[in-house]
Amino acid sequence: MSTAHAPTSGPVRVEVSGLSKSFGAVAAVSDLGFTVEPASVTGFLGPNGAGKTTTLRMLLGLVRPDAGSATFDGVPYAALPQPVRTVGAVLETAFHPARSGRDHLRVYCRGAGLPVSRADEVLAQVGLADAGRRRAGGYSLGMRQRLALATALLGDPAVLVLDEPANGLDPEGIQWLRGFLRHLAHDQGRTVLVSSHLLSEVEQTVDRVVIVGGGRLVREASMADLRSGADGAGTVLVRSPEAVRLAEVLRTGGAQVDLDGDALTVSGRTTAEIGSRAFAAGVELHELRSHTSGLEEIYFQLTAGREQYAATVPTEEAAR
Amino acid sequence: MTGLVRAEWTKLFTTRVWIGLLLGSCVMVIGFAILLTAFAGNPESGIPAVGTPLYEELAMANAVNVNVLFLILGIIGMTQEYRHRTATPTFLTTPHRGRVVIAKLVAYALAATLFALVVMAVNFTAVAVHAGARGDAPELSADNLGTLGSSGLALVIYAVIGVGLGALLRNQVGAIVGGLVYLFVIEPIIRQIPATSGAYKWMPGGALEALTATFQGPDVLDAWQGGLLLLGYGLVAAVLGTFLAVRRDVA
Ligand SMILES: Nc1ncnc2c1ncn2[C@@H]1O[C@H](COP(=O)(O)OP(=O)(O)O)[C@@H](O)[C@H]1O
Ligand SMILES: [Mg+2]
Repeated sequence: MSTAHAPTSGPVRVEVSGLSKSFGAVAAVSDLGFTVEPASVTGFLGPNGAGKTTTLRMLLGLVRPDAGSATFDGVPYAALPQPVRTVGAVLETAFHPARSGRDHLRVYCRGAGLPVSRADEVLAQVGLADAGRRRAGGYSLGMRQRLALATALLGDPAVLVLDEPANGLDPEGIQWLRGFLRHLAHDQGRTVLVSSHLLSEVEQTVDRVVIVGGGRLVREASMADLRSGADGAGTVLVRSPEAVRLAEVLRTGGAQVDLDGDALTVSGRTTAEIGSRAFAAGVELHELRSHTSGLEEIYFQLTAGREQYAATVPTEEAAR
Repeated sequence: MTGLVRAEWTKLFTTRVWIGLLLGSCVMVIGFAILLTAFAGNPESGIPAVGTPLYEELAMANAVNVNVLFLILGIIGMTQEYRHRTATPTFLTTPHRGRVVIAKLVAYALAATLFALVVMAVNFTAVAVHAGARGDAPELSADNLGTLGSSGLALVIYAVIGVGLGALLRNQVGAIVGGLVYLFVIEPIIRQIPATSGAYKWMPGGALEALTATFQGPDVLDAWQGGLLLLGYGLVAAVLGTFLAVRRDVA
């Protein structure tokens, strides 16, 4: 892994607004808007067919949107003076099978006006140094993912966009990728946008999520908010010897509370809000935690049926 | 732009397609030279005898017989991006897709020039050795050099047409099969049928014959007109291909 250093071009913010694209009768993406912040990993989540790949391809100027815009610090991809120095993308893990990984990278060094020595640097960065001179046709799926990532890193970009990068990686590879993406974002300040159809795949990696279903935005939130249920999505578990009194206190404050022995399940409040109420009321707490195992549930609820109802239910209602 | 052209050269020379096409061209051109010379002066073949100016013109223009391989070189150069899905990183590196197509046209014109020089040298050597054995080796006279040169130019233009055709069709197998059918079925038929043979001189094959002034077929344009027309076909394919590459989604 590389030493901590910031990208040469400084932090860059990604903004998507009003993006729409139809393929014939299929509305793949409809009026989609969200932002991606520097120094964090943003998960771009949605079930298969939700429009993630189409959105990322529009973001990168490969697919022409019917409407809307996608910009990097206000500049569309095609207008960036040196695109690969600003944005690196992993969309495809296909390579010319007869060309070595190293030669593949050297092609794009030449095309982008980068020194060809970058090829060896990024190969080392993704742990492919030993396989660089072998034909890419013989690479495993995991090695292809690494080579695609290496290609994206060539220009030392401020923004990294990855489409389902965990596909085909073994558990070890996924572990490595998680650490690598966090390192790029948290230690080096890069903007990382990573798509997945599985929440479980990215939930330990991402700081923020943009959830889409049926081509529309379902939820844009930080993981912390989603976990704590700050926006009404999750629940908090509380244990207290004075459970009954605490339930009353919280209900008076407008929270929804289920009481079961010494345990409370609270919706609509964060752990911090519950903690401070309990403290103010002088109630002793033995446990206070957000119900994280429910995240998958939340995700399922948020996205379930999106495809069917996307055409008839407005985004706002469907999101609640 | 130099960087993009070098990128295309790197792509070309880091796989072995070029070796196959160049070797194939050399083998084919030697074969055609031997056939031509073996049957020269044979009254049934209609090929003029070794040592006559007509024979030498045919022998020097012999290299155009491998035009199909140069067409395929250009087609593969463009369509490999779609076949192996490298169009994505290529257009990410250079979002101005027209520049990619132009870089390919330049890179393949240059590579085809090198390959054409090799093919021309091989052709001349094969002809000189075989015709020499039959008593009269052609010399590198101004006329012979001119014919040799225009055959090489034709090969380069076919590579350019191939790049344009590839950008237009994107499907590698489709473009190659289409090119073969056109060259070996459609054009010969049009050339043979009296009703359409008048149009033949305006087609790439007719322009090629005019440029290299070989066969005594249907009437053709002047050599320079043929050359320009052939180049025009290459440019039209390239411009159309560029236009479509810029407009179409890369999905
Ligand atoms: N090139 C295309 N032509 C036709 N339909 C497409 C094309 N690309 C995507 N789609 C359709 O658009 C929808 C969104 O697809 P996609 O963006 O690939 O979703 P995801 O990446 O979230 O799985 C799907 O219904 C898909 O079938
Ligand atoms: Mg996808």
